[in-house]
Amino acid sequence: MATPRTSARRLTRLAGALACLALLGAGAAAAATLRGARSHANLDTFVLANAVKIDTLDPAQNSVNESIWLDQNIYSRLLQPNATGTKLLPDLATSWKITNGGKTYTFHLRAAKFSDGTPVTAKDVVYSIERAKALKGGWGFLLDAVKSITAPNPRTVVIKLSRPHAPLLADLAMYAYSVIPASSKSKGAAFFNKPVSSGPYMVTSLNKDSELDLSLNPYWYGKKPSIKHIKVLIVPNDNTRVLLLQSKKVDAIENPPGNLIDQINKYPDLKADLFPSTRVDFIQLDEHFAPFKDRNVRMALNYGIDRNAIVKLAFSGHAIPAGSFMPYKMLYWDPKLKPYPYDLAKAKAYLAKSKYPHGFKCFLIEVANDVSGNATAVVIKSELAKLGISVDIRTYELLTAYAKEDGGHSEMGQRYWTNDIIDPDEVATFAADSNGGAHAFNTYWVNKKANALVEKARGELNPKKRQQMYYEIQKILYQQSPFLVLDYSPYRYAQGRWVHGFHVNPLGAYNLSLLNMTVASH
Amino acid sequence: MSRLVFVGRRVLQAIPVLFGITVITFFLIRLIPGDPALQILGQHYTAAAAKQVRHALGLDRPLWSQYLLFLTHLLHGNLGESLFFKQPARQVIEQRLAPTLFLVGYAAVLAAAISIPTGVVSALRRGRLFDQTARVVTLVGFAMPGFWLGIMLILLFAIKVPLFPVSGYGAGFVGHLDHLFLPALTIALGFSTIVVRTLRASVLAAYAADYVDTARIKGISRVAILLRHVLRNAIVSVVVVFGINLAFLIGGTVIIENVFAIPGLGSLLVDSVSTRDYPVVQGVTLLFAVLVVAINLVTDLVHASLDPRVAAR
Repeated sequence: MATPRTSARRLTRLAGALACLALLGAGAAAAATLRGARSHANLDTFVLANAVKIDTLDPAQNSVNESIWLDQNIYSRLLQPNATGTKLLPDLATSWKITNGGKTYTFHLRAAKFSDGTPVTAKDVVYSIERAKALKGGWGFLLDAVKSITAPNPRTVVIKLSRPHAPLLADLAMYAYSVIPASSKSKGAAFFNKPVSSGPYMVTSLNKDSELDLSLNPYWYGKKPSIKHIKVLIVPNDNTRVLLLQSKKVDAIENPPGNLIDQINKYPDLKADLFPSTRVDFIQLDEHFAPFKDRNVRMALNYGIDRNAIVKLAFSGHAIPAGSFMPYKMLYWDPKLKPYPYDLAKAKAYLAKSKYPHGFKCFLIEVANDVSGNATAVVIKSELAKLGISVDIRTYELLTAYAKEDGGHSEMGQRYWTNDIIDPDEVATFAADSNGGAHAFNTYWVNKKANALVEKARGELNPKKRQQMYYEIQKILYQQSPFLVLDYSPYRYAQGRWVHGFHVNPLGAYNLSLLNMTVASH
Repeated sequence: MSRLVFVGRRVLQAIPVLFGITVITFFLIRLIPGDPALQILGQHYTAAAAKQVRHALGLDRPLWSQYLLFLTHLLHGNLGESLFFKQPARQVIEQRLAPTLFLVGYAAVLAAAISIPTGVVSALRRGRLFDQTARVVTLVGFAMPGFWLGIMLILLFAIKVPLFPVSGYGAGFVGHLDHLFLPALTIALGFSTIVVRTLRASVLAAYAADYVDTARIKGISRVAILLRHVLRNAIVSVVVVFGINLAFLIGGTVIIENVFAIPGLGSLLVDSVSTRDYPVVQGVTLLFAVLVVAINLVTDLVHASLDPRVAAR
């Protein structure tokens, strides 16, 4: 006979079972509804997962690399770097003439249109360059030598300089000088929420924190690519990005963790790519700290640090020990400058010659959550201890670390450099010229010969002579080592093997490859 | 006291709290080394360029002047311009509010759906297999780091058995429900532990009360005793615990937002501190304060309506 106790128990069990079934049913129904949409692979769509949110689509104001690389699919410039980052190709300018002793540049524009069908004219180019140049704290310093920019007719732009400026074409190929319509001025910042595009793709939807959708610009001047749509998802977590690729929900991901590269390559459908980049990792040595003023100490550090160990431990072998301060294989990079070998005896000999034969104490600033940087710091600490140099690793979040490294109160600091232009003028100005504004990568090292060479090379239009000057600059820095150049690390990407032709150039851009790549069914 | 007077008094009390929060946030964020110019200029930082940037952003003005400007704008509903996104801070925050509220609300519903039946049955089956199992499972859910639990759920229910999406917020109401199920479940599993334990203890305490014995003697059924007497009293303390933890959740979802790529307020605040995006930091902190005050007020109102003795004081 059923008692009240039995009835209550049955009721409880029944209620619980019904609740579970309802929950499972709702979930499965929702999943089933959407499963069809998710499993469909659109062959004219490329889906990329990026690690960092978009700051802005205003090319003059970008401060985030990922946004810069996205801009280059939306906007054209007068010229653009090629796939290897060693030459310039025509973009909106089909040809150019350099006259008047290198002080007048005349660009002839192709018949291109913006994504709203209006023609791209010389006035738009003039407006875009002047706007970016005038921005306070922006990239105007690259075009210091520019006296005037005019549009004598709708298809001609004339730039006049106050002095010869060899990097001008490379400067104009820079993302900040992307071309936007002059009419965008009236819309202000709101224009960049859905900009009118001069490049191959236009923005159809933008959510800076989660997704950017691009579609082919119907008026794009080039051959129509097979990729008509690009979806860029913002997925900050490294593991989640890898899982997304594994589940084939995306076609490629940016910056997979270095320790997962080999594992990704083991999946039959996936592959990891290490694209040569312009990244150079180095240790800044602030000469306000007395030992670093002594060249013998700096040379002891050079020989006392095993760059191969850093490459192995910090980059899982996926980096190259560095010799020159200039990025790997960039224009005028000197291949003869080999990385300093690890030689403890030589290191001790240099230290013995210095004012600090018994070593000293110093601190090394590193950035929190920078996995390869943290491993590098540990290698440096353990190796320099053999020389009697006690390194105290101080970890800070990014901007605090940079604030402590700048300003002349630092000792050792971890930094890196990446190029924005293919010309060596930019990196030489920041690294070698104490008057360049960055105090030679914040080392406060001063070498008048290097300063003079940087200035001279900027104005030298003969490529052979220019190359010699940059070789000399690199030699001076190699011999003096105001900062310790450690390694050249690549851009890491991973993609499905169903993607063909995706390629990132040394400046980080992939816009050229998107015009020629294909996505197969998967 | 009447409800209206109660609410009015609490709102008035909130004003100096919110004002204090604006002062603390404004000055605290500016005490951290590094400034927006460093973020904007990055490796191309030079003292000259930084000076220009700070001037363009009004950051070279005296602090008191910047604070007064901020307060003046705030009174007009203007939170300033995001230094990172180059658009109104209010717009940036508004875009992130819905995902956070949806996620927290969804997690609260799942937590209630998991913890209320579990807490009650644990109490009814005190010391037996269900009770022991429930206590261990909820403890594991509480102890496991959210980022690990989230990744495990993705592996199991988005990759191995593809029932749910890996990440994102989705589009439309059904899309949000679909995309946020795993992240909400991750939060709910941790959240449930406290609610299960509190409810279990409250139900046991209620069962030990005299009025339950009286109800039994009167011949009222076990189900009726449970629903009309025991739960009615036990739920009161659970509501308070639930409300406090919900308020805490508002800003505490940053790890889950990161793992599941949800554009919420938690990750916005952390990112904005990293990039020294002062207007957004100030705006989000103020919004959190308003939401916490609102949730606490609602919790108190619900508590008062469930327990008339509280309302009478």
